[in-house]
Amino acid sequence: MLLIKCPFCRERSEIEFVYGGPVGPDRPDPTICTDDEWLDYLLMVPNPTGPVEERWWHAKGCGDWFTIWRSTVTHEVVDRPGDE
Amino acid sequence: MAYNAKISRVGAMTLFDLKGKQTALAGWAGEALPPFPNTPNTSASKDEMELLFIGPDHWLLHAPLGREAELETVLTPTEAPPEISIVRISDTQTFFSITGPDAEQIISIASPLDAHLSVFPENGATFTEAFGLKALILRKRDGFSLSVEQSFGDMVEDYLERAMS
Amino acid sequence: MNNRLAEGGRIDRSRPLTFTFNGSRFQGYEGDTLASALLANGVALTARSFKYHRPRGIFGAGVEEPATLVELLGKDACGNRPPTTVPLRDGLSAKSVNCWPSPRFDFGAVTELFARFIPAGFYYKTFKWPNWHLFEPSIRRAAGLAAAPADPPSSGHFEARNGHTDILIAGAGPAGLMAALTAGRSGARVFLADEGNEAGGALLSRKLSVDGQTALDWVAAAVAELAGMPNVVHLQNSTVWAYREHNLLCVNELDPDHPTLLERNWRVRAKQVIVATGAIERAIVFANNDRPGVMLSSAVQTYVNRYAALPGQRAVFFTNNDSAYAAAADFAAAGGSVAAIVDSRTDVPKTAKAQAEGIEILAGSVVCDVTGRGRVKSARVSDLGGGAERFIECDLLGVSGGWSPTVHLFSQSRGTLTFDETLVAFVPDVPAQKCICAGASAGKLSLQDTLQDAADKAVAALGAAGFKAAKLVAPKAEDAPYSAEPLWRVECNAKGKAFLDIQNDVTVDDVHLAIREGYSNVEHVKRYTTGGMGIDQGKTGNINIIGTVAMQQGTALPDIGTTTFRAPYTPVSFGAISGLREGSVVLPYRHTPVTKWNHERGANMYEAGARWRRPGYFPQSGENFQEAVNRECLAVRDRVGVYDGSPLGKFELKGRDVGNYLDLLYTNIMSTLSPGNGRYGLMLSEDGLILDDGVAMRLGEHRWIVSTSTGHADAMSQHMEKVLQFDHPDWEVMITTVTSQWNNATICGPRARDVLQALGTDIDLSPDAFPFMSLRDGTVAGLPARVVRVSFTGELSFEVNVAPRHMAELWDKVMAAGAGFGIEPVGSEGSHVLRVEKGFLSLGHEVDGTVDAYDLGMGWIMSKKKPDYIGKRSVEIRRAGGSVRRELVGLLPEDPDEMIPEGAPLTPGGSKQATEGLVTACVWSVVNGRWVALALLENGHSRHGEIAHVRLRSRVIPAQVTKPVFHDPDGKRLRS
Repeated sequence: MLLIKCPFCRERSEIEFVYGGPVGPDRPDPTICTDDEWLDYLLMVPNPTGPVEERWWHAKGCGDWFTIWRSTVTHEVVDRPGDE
Repeated sequence: MAYNAKISRVGAMTLFDLKGKQTALAGWAGEALPPFPNTPNTSASKDEMELLFIGPDHWLLHAPLGREAELETVLTPTEAPPEISIVRISDTQTFFSITGPDAEQIISIASPLDAHLSVFPENGATFTEAFGLKALILRKRDGFSLSVEQSFGDMVEDYLERAMS
Repeated sequence: MNNRLAEGGRIDRSRPLTFTFNGSRFQGYEGDTLASALLANGVALTARSFKYHRPRGIFGAGVEEPATLVELLGKDACGNRPPTTVPLRDGLSAKSVNCWPSPRFDFGAVTELFARFIPAGFYYKTFKWPNWHLFEPSIRRAAGLAAAPADPPSSGHFEARNGHTDILIAGAGPAGLMAALTAGRSGARVFLADEGNEAGGALLSRKLSVDGQTALDWVAAAVAELAGMPNVVHLQNSTVWAYREHNLLCVNELDPDHPTLLERNWRVRAKQVIVATGAIERAIVFANNDRPGVMLSSAVQTYVNRYAALPGQRAVFFTNNDSAYAAAADFAAAGGSVAAIVDSRTDVPKTAKAQAEGIEILAGSVVCDVTGRGRVKSARVSDLGGGAERFIECDLLGVSGGWSPTVHLFSQSRGTLTFDETLVAFVPDVPAQKCICAGASAGKLSLQDTLQDAADKAVAALGAAGFKAAKLVAPKAEDAPYSAEPLWRVECNAKGKAFLDIQNDVTVDDVHLAIREGYSNVEHVKRYTTGGMGIDQGKTGNINIIGTVAMQQGTALPDIGTTTFRAPYTPVSFGAISGLREGSVVLPYRHTPVTKWNHERGANMYEAGARWRRPGYFPQSGENFQEAVNRECLAVRDRVGVYDGSPLGKFELKGRDVGNYLDLLYTNIMSTLSPGNGRYGLMLSEDGLILDDGVAMRLGEHRWIVSTSTGHADAMSQHMEKVLQFDHPDWEVMITTVTSQWNNATICGPRARDVLQALGTDIDLSPDAFPFMSLRDGTVAGLPARVVRVSFTGELSFEVNVAPRHMAELWDKVMAAGAGFGIEPVGSEGSHVLRVEKGFLSLGHEVDGTVDAYDLGMGWIMSKKKPDYIGKRSVEIRRAGGSVRRELVGLLPEDPDEMIPEGAPLTPGGSKQATEGLVTACVWSVVNGRWVALALLENGHSRHGEIAHVRLRSRVIPAQVTKPVFHDPDGKRLRS
């Protein structure tokens, strides 16, 4: 059970949240992108060993959708890479 | 020792859901409302009404059920400008009052929220989880108010009775 | 009680307790454990072993006990408890597990005669065909543990609760108490939990002094000071059994101070954790090292000092370290006779010898075997090389293989371990969470070191948690130093089994076999031999397994490493984990204001999505299921019916961009709706699958209401907010869930309008003024209402929405007003029949995660005008692939009285081939007087008129393929 920092509510138990998956590329414009670009967007889900940006919904709290960076190795919630 | 707490089912309260920018809401209905609380998950009160800051650009107006018609007239949800949303949701939640010296222990059975006074202040008000459900918890003078989606009211009453048994 | 000392110990001689063990009555005292009381009564043979049914006694004094497990009988029946952890109470009744009729005469003991035929991996090798589960039950009975109790405990219930703290301290021995005092005085919130029935840890078993007073006086003063601190929660009988992510720890509190609570399971979130769990003494591996009378030397010391019980009369101690010397001295001081201390080290430190004056010390010697079967009779002692053998008579053999810091919690937190060559033990290395080990668990094996270490570590932990703490100078403690040398097993020519894991009957030979067969990794050795599994999880023996593997492979212990430490540290009741969640609240449930009426009406209720308990049907007296459903359906088709549509998901949307937003969410165009009107729509996920269907209604220029299917309301809320907050944060759209702000009675059937008129309304109900797919606000039966013309039955239908506080009243009035028109309440079974007759799709039936709108014959709903909506591109790509699609069709079984089971496969010609579809629903159609079905069938749209074949195990059902609609195909009735 992780402890997740909601931007509005601060640290809360994972049980209050719904996982929204890792953040992939932005949605391409479906009226002009190629099939491959569209399928990459749909299917290529980031799955690194280490920090990954992922979405969480504070479903039982304030309702905010936000992202955190979490290490897939240690569960540690870390700063966005590059931020100091 | 069995728990020294008293639990009662209050039922519905007046609730209006307010969304939009604070300035826009204040502009539309500011005089009718308590002051806007500054800190997330706290409330401010006026004339038996409380304004709860429960999400980004999101407040709840909470008052005794008897105030509903009067507040509806003042807030006029259907006339509100497009940039704010005011929706009467009094019937969506059912309230329980949990009071007494062991009230915080009952909350800890229900919810993972840290309801310690050093964390959840005198005017604390937040949505969290209780008995597996989305729940609104408010600190009250002698304990807490806990409310859940109205249709789960019987189940939560069942749970609270089990907690006190 | 022939082995009870006349004085001393932590028992209350003024409170005698009577208990029963294996049918015999005994007496003990308040403060005893079942184990100490049995030993005080001279009961040495207490169990039979797991696999070989060898006689066993009591080996330890706490949670490490590997040899004896008991089953508690009576009102709080419980299996597989080490008697060392069972507090004695009056009337307690227990029996040994895994022996019949008694541990002394055990029929299962014949197993040992065949022992050489059941080596490690025996079950895996032998019982693999046709499958393990065929053999499992009988093997479980023969080699085993106690059965789960048949009934829940009758004397109380369980509770689970959450806790929050700045500092959690696991263990209230000297280190834990010292840390708690430091932390408590700083003002931090402190949570101190200890598994014992009183604080003190190892100090309870030893005779030490602190600051010139007895150590236990110091403990009492510390406990009293902590009790006066409102910021400190101090729990005894409370084991920290799991260390989870982000400093969440599980603590199981036994016998809490509450009249009806059996156990309370805490989930505590801590800013910082101090692990002060002490150390556990290790067994030594030699032939027949499992015989009753062989006991950890620290356990001997505990029984003598804490429980005033002498576990034997004449003892030999066998050690590779200093700690056994104090144990031998305490045993002698209590009146026992110590024949010798056998020490595997050739150089025994003076400080050790000094503790055991007058006792013969055999340095450089080992015990290689014992004689005696039901009880040790003598120890066979030789020098390290195997020479100079002699037998020393004894009825007790205290063994000490050195001490392992209790690193379980630290390791569960994913902290790493390192092997300390001086301590000959794995000790904590790099923490992975906000966690610090203190005292013996950090490898500080003397009292003075432990106290100072705990004080220092507490200051560090407090600093990390944001508290300033004054550095405490630890009190002065007297304790001998500790040193040890490795002794992973005694190598000699003795024949008997040498046990590495006493509980699971795993011997040195088993580990050698595993390595020979290729299971050389220590994790594989564990799984192949089961060494280190079971109730005790190898607390006294794991290190010897690792040592044995290292010796066999010629490597060093650090290269072998430990097996993974996993929760729970000690067994936990399932009840404690589930807490209050039992009986009526095992599953969540939701009620509407009509639920009570439904019950009174005798409805058959069940869950129908999103945790709502809804009426399935309303049987009248003498009616069976089908008759009741038929009656309800006929009422709707011929007259009028009503159902409680309250659970439908509802969302109110506000803002200037709602139209655009709905156009993105739905496959069809919503933004062109005018106020008061609505449209049915489909929502897809981005991969093109159908997410939900529902109706969008425009209430005003910038106000909308959207309904979703009952079961998907939460998922739709998640989807809508995600799209809005991530993809279009700049759009002016505000969503409010109003599912429970509106309840509704849906009145449907040709007489629905008449019923509404009879109820009284200010809404003009004429078809021109109030057409299909529109909504009107007004009053109905004097109640404020929103009436919506939608239809899920194919009949004229009015959904009368009111606030829940008015719903029960509305319902009663509808039933009264409808009585003259023959109104019937309709359950979910009837609703299902009515929608199948119309071919209306149902998520979970026709929509199963593979079909798209075209497959359902709903291509018209996929807007060609909109350049984009969620899922559009994916559907286009999939359909461009040109693969064969399963399409929605109706099926009429050739025999109209033949029912087709839902989910039944369709195959070409009914032959044994790959399926070409499946039946999604089949109902008795009241309007057609026959069974009708819906199915997904390959290329079904072009196969109307053909005969398809349902293939069942026993027979083939031919059925005609039709359009998926069996009633009013033009929809005239629902628009009427």
